[in-house]
Amino acid sequence: MAIDILMPPLSQTMDSLVLVEWSKKIGEPVVRGETLFVVETDKAMLEVESPGAGTLRETLAAPGAEVKIGAKIGVIAEPGDEAVGATSAAQISRRDGQPLPPERQHRVFASPRARRLAEAEGIALSSLNASGPQGMIVERDVRAALERQRAQPKITPVARRVAEAAGLDVTALTPSEPGALITREDVEKAIQQQPLAEPVLPSRQQAGSRIALSPVRKTIARRLQASHQTTAPVTLNREVDATELTALRERLLADLQPGDPRPTYTDLLISIVARCLRRHPRFNAHFDGDTIELRDEVNMGLAMDTERGLFVPVIRDAQRKGLLDLARARTQLAQRVADGAITPDEMSDGTFTLTNLGALGVDSFTPIVNPPQVAILGVGRIRPVPAVYQNQVSIRQVMFLSLTFDHRAVDGAPAARLLNDIAQMIEKPHRMWL
Amino acid sequence: MPKMSIAEALREAIREEMRRDPRVFCLGEDIGVEGGFGGAFTVTLGLSQEFGHERILDTPISEAAIAGLAIGSAIAGMRPIADVQYGDFLFCMMDQLANQAAKLRYMSGGTLTIPMVMRAPIGATARGAQHAQSLEAFFTHVPGLKVVAPATAYDAKGLLKAAVRDDNPVLIFEHKLLYGSKGARTEKGAVSPIGEVPEEDYIVPIGEGIIRRPGKDVTIVANLLMLYRALGAAETLAQRGIEAEVIDPRTLVPLDKQLILESVQKTGRLVIVEEDNLTNGWGAEVAALMADEAFAWLDAPIKRVAAPDVPPPFAPVLEREYVPSEQRVVDAVCSLF
Repeated sequence: MAIDILMPPLSQTMDSLVLVEWSKKIGEPVVRGETLFVVETDKAMLEVESPGAGTLRETLAAPGAEVKIGAKIGVIAEPGDEAVGATSAAQISRRDGQPLPPERQHRVFASPRARRLAEAEGIALSSLNASGPQGMIVERDVRAALERQRAQPKITPVARRVAEAAGLDVTALTPSEPGALITREDVEKAIQQQPLAEPVLPSRQQAGSRIALSPVRKTIARRLQASHQTTAPVTLNREVDATELTALRERLLADLQPGDPRPTYTDLLISIVARCLRRHPRFNAHFDGDTIELRDEVNMGLAMDTERGLFVPVIRDAQRKGLLDLARARTQLAQRVADGAITPDEMSDGTFTLTNLGALGVDSFTPIVNPPQVAILGVGRIRPVPAVYQNQVSIRQVMFLSLTFDHRAVDGAPAARLLNDIAQMIEKPHRMWL
Repeated sequence: MPKMSIAEALREAIREEMRRDPRVFCLGEDIGVEGGFGGAFTVTLGLSQEFGHERILDTPISEAAIAGLAIGSAIAGMRPIADVQYGDFLFCMMDQLANQAAKLRYMSGGTLTIPMVMRAPIGATARGAQHAQSLEAFFTHVPGLKVVAPATAYDAKGLLKAAVRDDNPVLIFEHKLLYGSKGARTEKGAVSPIGEVPEEDYIVPIGEGIIRRPGKDVTIVANLLMLYRALGAAETLAQRGIEAEVIDPRTLVPLDKQLILESVQKTGRLVIVEEDNLTNGWGAEVAALMADEAFAWLDAPIKRVAAPDVPPPFAPVLEREYVPSEQRVVDAVCSLF
């Protein structure tokens, strides 16, 4: 049975998604759960897993094509399909994914050499992938089919598990005698015979290296460039005395119940900023260049650093959530980002963004607005400094806040007032309840 | 073993054949005049000092006369080596070559033989449309003529000696950029394949091609200057994992069909590179032959890389576009995979 590959419903706001690339070539084997293709939503590049195991037999959409959700974009042939010959000539597609011209669709196009070989080997041409020029079946397609038929000695499930655990290529294993099953003993023997990996020495000629951008990196690049090119960013910096806030947090931590999440400064700041934003609605908004859409709820985007790059998941209705709820929501989102399980919906519809580089020792920086949002708050580290407090020099816990706003949508003075409100609340946290 | 350019190797062949056989003589425009170049490309330079002006015969500027004299003397038992300054001028002697030289042996029932050699420089070398054509194909179409195109110094000597000893009219096409001519006749952009050439007597049999580079993925057939473009392309292709087999046919009539056939049977792909205009070039004949006899072995369409169907341009930039480049060969090969 062939498995249809459909464009998955990965966006709630878009009818169609862009196919970025196929991660497998036609004729390549694929297992369930392996990345099969990459799509781009309005939020992110997403790797889509294969719906089943087999061989990618054909692709009906080319990279770059915009495809309706639910539309068929390819077919996976399951093991055994090739020999059955279920493919019609119409399903033979070009390497570039473009559909064949109509005159090619009602007959099999194969090179004379491929025909000769297929005939000699008793292989049905109609069952083959066409990888040659102009969508033609060529010799290598016949040979690949022969290879698949002949190779693949059977392997016991336990032997497969042992091999995979040891990182052995299952297809490279041979049974103890031709035609026999590959057993656990065969695998263990192969493991023992494995040569020790030689250390890879850096090549003298090649200083440095070139890295192709991952889909995530590409999305980051595209969105930040768009932000940089379309917004008129201005950053306000302000030093804030956070001594009271640190003291408050100490008291909070002391009173936590077992099982409660530990609130971080980020959580405290989300709570403070969400409250302040309600008094400065123009900063809790979406701006499209013509209209400012003020939002009642505060959907707080949180910049998170991962090995795969920057992710900005969103805590919804942050203005309604208590501190522990915020901490819990943030912890869960962080875990999902780390696991690579975060979905586009969990990263969509933020109304304001908080980015905290304090943990990395940064004092002050210029955050970049995440359109269509209007502003973003950057938070620096909290550190003890000698400061004038109540006309005395004493040691105070001080931090910097950096508020970047899109000057197209709002002006500097209102932004300064928002920043001032936030600073006041950090310096005197009891104001939260005033 | 001494190393020679093609011009030197041809001179050596002429010298040896003239010493060996008193019936052999050269004729052509300015091939032996004192203080001259020794023909347009130095091939006969200095030979008149050894053999005198009777055997290194300077003719008036009349290609028809050169051809007529060569054919007539061949009928009479001499073995002339005629020099046409530029192959393009062969058209002036077309009746002599196509109607007389090519047909007299046939028409006389074998009573007459025409053991003549016609040496013709060809190839686009910034001299304009009337001094730049690659004319091999015209003569491959005339039964009774043999057509030879040496691309190395070794072959130049061996093929010219074989041509002199052949009892049929043989046209030798020599590429201006391959001569390796020196001094005032140095060619800009020349390839000059200097190669080892044995001092002793040897011939390269007319009708035998040679594999210049073995490969398994695609067969490239190319002659003269295009052979070097093909070899360069093969180098590039090797870096991309495509092993090209490059065949130098050396002789176009008779063609070493078997060599090309066996190669195509092995590789399944064929690209033919010629400097001539595309339509009805000798490459078209090779393609047709292989489509006929190697059909079941072909894994891709046969491709020809040739000059477009326009006269060779004078302007150097246009000429560079006109003459098939290495890149065009690479592209043609890659389109087959």
